[in-house]
Amino acid sequence: MILGIDAGGTNYDAVAFEDGSVVSAAKRSADTDDGFETLLAEVVEKVDGSGNAEVDRVVVSTTRVLNSAVQNRLPDCTNVVVPGVGLSPELAYSGDENLVADGCVDHRGRVTEPLEIDGEPSHGVVAVTAKFSTRNPSLETEASESLDAPTVALGHESGGALGFPSRAETTVANAKSKPVFESFESSLHDALDETGIDAPVYYLKGDAAMLSRESARTTPAHTLRSGPASSSLGLVALTERYAETPSLTNAVCVDIGGTTTDVTLVKDGFPALVDEVEAGCISTFYDGVVAVNTTAGGDTRLDEDGLTGVRDGPAVAFGGPSPTPTDALHVLGAVSEGDATAAREALSALGDPEQVAEEVVEGFVSAIAESVRSLEGHEDVPGTVVVGGALADALASRLADRLDCISDVIVPQNAAVCGAVGCAVASVSVRTHVHVDTARGEMTVASAGPEKVEEVETGVEYEEDEARELVARETAEATRRAGGDATLDEIEITAFRSFNVVEDGRVVGQITDATARAEPGRRKR
Amino acid sequence: MTLALVYHDDYLLHENTPTHPERRERLTYTMDQLREEGVLDHTDVELVEPEAVTEDEILRVHTPDYVGRLKKMSEEGGGALTVDTHVSEHTWDSARLAAGGVTDAVDRVLKGDNQTSFVMSRPGGHHAFADHAHGFCFTNNTAVALKHAQEVYDLDRILLWDWDAHHFDGTQSVFYDDPSVLTMSTHQTGRTLFPGTGYTDEVGEDEGEGYNVNVPLLPKTGDEGYERVVDEVFEPIARQYDPDLLFVEAGQDNHFTDPITDLGVTAQGYASLMNSAVETAEDVCDGRVVASLAGGYGVEGGLPYTNLAVIASLARLDTSNVREPATYEPPADGPTVDGAVSKVKEKLGDYWEL
Repeated sequence: MILGIDAGGTNYDAVAFEDGSVVSAAKRSADTDDGFETLLAEVVEKVDGSGNAEVDRVVVSTTRVLNSAVQNRLPDCTNVVVPGVGLSPELAYSGDENLVADGCVDHRGRVTEPLEIDGEPSHGVVAVTAKFSTRNPSLETEASESLDAPTVALGHESGGALGFPSRAETTVANAKSKPVFESFESSLHDALDETGIDAPVYYLKGDAAMLSRESARTTPAHTLRSGPASSSLGLVALTERYAETPSLTNAVCVDIGGTTTDVTLVKDGFPALVDEVEAGCISTFYDGVVAVNTTAGGDTRLDEDGLTGVRDGPAVAFGGPSPTPTDALHVLGAVSEGDATAAREALSALGDPEQVAEEVVEGFVSAIAESVRSLEGHEDVPGTVVVGGALADALASRLADRLDCISDVIVPQNAAVCGAVGCAVASVSVRTHVHVDTARGEMTVASAGPEKVEEVETGVEYEEDEARELVARETAEATRRAGGDATLDEIEITAFRSFNVVEDGRVVGQITDATARAEPGRRKR
Repeated sequence: MTLALVYHDDYLLHENTPTHPERRERLTYTMDQLREEGVLDHTDVELVEPEAVTEDEILRVHTPDYVGRLKKMSEEGGGALTVDTHVSEHTWDSARLAAGGVTDAVDRVLKGDNQTSFVMSRPGGHHAFADHAHGFCFTNNTAVALKHAQEVYDLDRILLWDWDAHHFDGTQSVFYDDPSVLTMSTHQTGRTLFPGTGYTDEVGEDEGEGYNVNVPLLPKTGDEGYERVVDEVFEPIARQYDPDLLFVEAGQDNHFTDPITDLGVTAQGYASLMNSAVETAEDVCDGRVVASLAGGYGVEGGLPYTNLAVIASLARLDTSNVREPATYEPPADGPTVDGAVSKVKEKLGDYWEL
């Protein structure tokens, strides 16, 4: 059994998932202190009444890093760069403070000048990025050992792609995200311990693949689009399982949350991706799902002018302080759960309750429709929309009426907990960069987390199929290190090149350089 | 965007022999350096994928007989044109793509899409004559591109500066009688280096007399020597000729680590050469500069840094930190260029005020 947990800003959702089906589901307000514990206890209890169900793994999506980033609540960071020779180090100045250290690694991964750091970081959060560190991480490691900072992120652990300025930027993003992510994940892990769940924990990345707890702690900026990734993945899985649509290839997914609404795009059965995800003051070179976020949700406070974009708490129908779109839907009889009388009373303060409710729901649906239309910049918007979130049933057909481009509306069973389902069906995939230099006798494998540096036999020249197999093997192993279990057949090599190293007129070795990943997908079981 | 950087992965396909100096890693190490520096993501740099030129465009420069021979040899899987110039199955397509890269780079700048352009291509071209080839070159890519430019655009004058360590014998022969392309070569003297030509008295012929400038330099000539040639020969001629376009055939084999030449230019020296070219172009032809990689065989210690230096200069990026790693011992001071400069002044004094 898999536990999927979607920790949004308003609600925590959880599902127990087995054999492709939702076995139990639970929802808790994120406002309460014991949110996780009661949520976990409830979802496990519901499975068979015993609370002793065997959990194979726990997969979590979280908007915590994103929310802190957009609200400018991330800590300041000292960005230590080791630019070596080349363009101006200023291109990599992405910290609140930037410290340039001496030292140089060349394109072959050789340390050509030793590390020397002049100056002390003024912040406790530190990022260290050296040029060509993915070919040789030793200067970054040395720097991190010499700096006595409580939080450190390293460039080679942030990703394997070449691009010193963007790697530095991503490393800063990871460093700044670490404290908030660590506090989130330690509270979750305390709750898991309390509930007696002892299973490996994974986090959903913004590209809708998951990462082990350890790798996520190293690269928490991967979670920036975790929320929309989980709902998108979950709505596809739920549609295929419950909505008599055995294969959903292209669709728009809408997840109506309490504070915000996410619109995502599904292409060829998987969430469509963009590169270089950023939020607030942080930027990364990570992929993330195409997502449009509207600050309008079921709990958005209403005033005389309609939606305010701010959430004070739950709807009045659920004991909250101010009227919301959920209360408006109560007045229109579109939802049943909660206190309808209280909702009507709250709306009366703003005018004729029926009229206010109509206007509010109209405005809410328009805002969502506007997000869907803004996807048009990406590609042709598909004619199918899948709607999730607690208000999906109440709003889906109104939304479809608003959008000429939509012909089919689907609200699959369990749509209210689609994000948690998305977590449960995710698989591990990490973009892996393999560099083999048999002249130097060294191989580096960089993905997310500590890089593998290994000696290889010097002077060897691989045939192309041998080299490709080596790349696939290393990528499968990197996937395992990130918590996955890809077979060689599931490895996709996206870039590959190989050439001889010639010294003094002799071939002394070979360089193979490749990028690969386990094909991201959804688990069928 | 300021700079169009023209590159295609198919430039890696052509190979002479496995240990030949003109190998694919001339480009791969540089491309790694450019990627790692973030040059390809820079807002002032546009990566352009070139298209091959047609056979007809090649025939503007080369004879049908030679083109037929080259094409056939390539189609049949390979052969050798000379002892060091080998044809492989990819050579014909690669040569057309290299000429296409230079042509696209010229188009980019002349259409005004980019201020400057740089072509990261191979095989090179400046030793290719109309009817034969040698020196690792097959088609004269620059000549093909400039003939195209003359046909398509309203250009009166093009200034071509070839700073490769080897004399541009093929290019000189194509434009020898053509005053609309002023060809200038700075190179290690033919007395000590292939192809053995390129003396100051080769000044052009017929209408092209005075429009071919050779500056043969002594072995070990370094940054300072090159700077003097720029100040005393290149710049005055550029200002007097007043071209519509400046083309730089950027051979990176003047670098002190180059294994097959014997000059002493550093990465900083290259940055300053290209800065001079760009600044002169800003004065005389609205900053229109097209540059194309020619030679350069210091694959590890030279090309990544010299290419970065000239590309960054063309994109107007800060080049002050572009240098070789400290593991490379810098060159000693080079010889004076007094002799070469005064020879040029003597031979070309009738045509230009030097």
